Amino acid sequence: MMQKTLRTLSHAGWRLVLGGAVWLLLMVLALTAPWLGLHEPNAQHLQYTLLPPAWMAGGRADFPLGTDILGQCILSRLVYGARVAAAVAILAPLGAALLGTTLGLLAGYLRGWTEKIIMTLVEVWMAFPSVVLAMLLMVALMPGFSNVILAIILVDWTRFCRVVRSEAIVWRSRDFIKAARLSGASHLSVMLHDLLPVIRPTLAVLISLEMATAIMAESILSFVGMSVGPDTPSWGAMIARSLDSVFSAPWQLVPPMAAIVVSIFAAMLLGTGLRFSRNEQTATGNEVLV
Amino acid sequence: MLPSTAEFRHNPVPHMAFRATTIAASLCRQLMVLSAVAILVFLILRLLPLDPGAMLIPPNGSVAEQEKIRQALGLDQPLPQQFLIWIQHLLHGDLGRSIQSGEAVTGLLQQAFPVTVQLVVLALLMGITAGSLSGILAFRYRFTLVRNALEVTNAFALSVPEFLWGLLLMLVFGIGFRVLPFFGQIAPQFTVEQHTGFLLIDTLINGDTGAFADVFAHYFLPALALALAIAPTLMRILYSSLNQIYASEFIRSARLRGLSERRLLLRHGLRNALLPALNLMSVQAGMLIGGTLLIEKIYGLQGIGYLMIDAINNQDLPVIQGIALLYGFCVLLINQTTEWLQRRLDPRARP
Repeated sequence: MMQKTLRTLSHAGWRLVLGGAVWLLLMVLALTAPWLGLHEPNAQHLQYTLLPPAWMAGGRADFPLGTDILGQCILSRLVYGARVAAAVAILAPLGAALLGTTLGLLAGYLRGWTEKIIMTLVEVWMAFPSVVLAMLLMVALMPGFSNVILAIILVDWTRFCRVVRSEAIVWRSRDFIKAARLSGASHLSVMLHDLLPVIRPTLAVLISLEMATAIMAESILSFVGMSVGPDTPSWGAMIARSLDSVFSAPWQLVPPMAAIVVSIFAAMLLGTGLRFSRNEQTATGNEVLV
Repeated sequence: MLPSTAEFRHNPVPHMAFRATTIAASLCRQLMVLSAVAILVFLILRLLPLDPGAMLIPPNGSVAEQEKIRQALGLDQPLPQQFLIWIQHLLHGDLGRSIQSGEAVTGLLQQAFPVTVQLVVLALLMGITAGSLSGILAFRYRFTLVRNALEVTNAFALSVPEFLWGLLLMLVFGIGFRVLPFFGQIAPQFTVEQHTGFLLIDTLINGDTGAFADVFAHYFLPALALALAIAPTLMRILYSSLNQIYASEFIRSARLRGLSERRLLLRHGLRNALLPALNLMSVQAGMLIGGTLLIEKIYGLQGIGYLMIDAINNQDLPVIQGIALLYGFCVLLINQTTEWLQRRLDPRARP
């Protein structure tokens, strides 16, 4: 038992540790942003536009990563942008999980007409490329912080629904479910107290992978200016703005791009790490890449 | 996705009749889904706090004029009626006119569609090649460092959204080294006689290899960006399904029969790994089509995605509706095609 745990840790552990560490850092930065002694993210220092990073010729120490075309501090916008990213990465997956799991459990456990209706809904939903659906929803909902999260939830719940449904179908014919029913538990109680616990590991994996998807979606939406309002710094919007002056100041593209890639990478590490440790425990999985 | 095959398996209907019913059932289902998609598109856009009629009315128009336009468009009627009118026009191939330019939406779509199709097809070809080659390579050398190197590359590639690939490629090859063009689909000095609307085909028909090369060069970076977005997932699924297959009995017995590793991989491994990969591609297709949106915008390719972003920014309802429907139709078509391919390739999936 001990040996098994150790092997799991050495095999999958570094992913969990690394991914978790990056996300912890991100969360801490996001939460403490106002007390880090940074410039006000929207303050325009018009005498210092398009400064290079501090270590390059012409850079200034009080703008460590330089400034953009409006003279706004890139480091400060990057850190404040982490707030949007962190909030989206936590709330959107939870919301999508809640909606998708509820419908998926209903479909997979009750089967019959409920399942037919829910799965048709999923199919209709999946007929739209997710970017297109997200943009359509943003047009309908208008830009804004909570609407971005809502749009991502409304687009991505189908992933949860599909997976949870197929898991529920597998588990529902097991003896312990029948036993629970025979002992007088209601359908609702069986779903909540017997099915949900066995699905939880899968949900954990799905949620951490959805974190990556949510960040991707938010960065795409803010890149086209359909996410949070222009006064809230976000990484995608930073990229879009720096494109206007890309020839004279290409370095300003690097920080937001790196932030997006690193946070997605960390979320994926978390997801695969979780999947790995689960597979190791149940000894059913085949080898997973990364 | 479709429960039909599994459900019908216990059905004692004779073979041929049975096949006809599945195809009909599947078609019916697709039609149902398509009409649900139409309703959804209509409803989402009616949630908009703006009035589609107001934008057509000249600012100095009188109330009577406004009413006239409203009536002509059927906007004075309740929502279900409006929907019926819209559907009726749709069935006659009329998607309305763009509010921005006044052109017919169908015409706009016809112009833009070939650009997107060329982009997607090129991206698919490149992505499938890169994904399957790297998957096979990683598997062939799974006990060496090659696998680890590919694994790290793969994990990194998966974390880069396609619009970032687009920007990175543009920065490096377009702006940095200046080796490839990165705006529009053809250099202005070429004039192409249009036959099909597909520039890659038209230039070939005209026998103008210079223009063909130029168009290809223009499509190269955007297609590569999209390909890089699908290749890593394909590599992953190929690798893990090859792994799974190699754990099975028939591979061991084939090896004991003295088959070479190469033959084993090509004839036994890959053939079976093809199906999950194909299944994945149908899921990825939607993503790929969605990805064209930003890539087209970044590279100035005037395809469907470019049109869509413009329409969204201008809140051009008829164009948005038309494009959303077209997207839905394309995704369903791709799903149908992969399902059909799957039946052809896998005897077990056949009814």
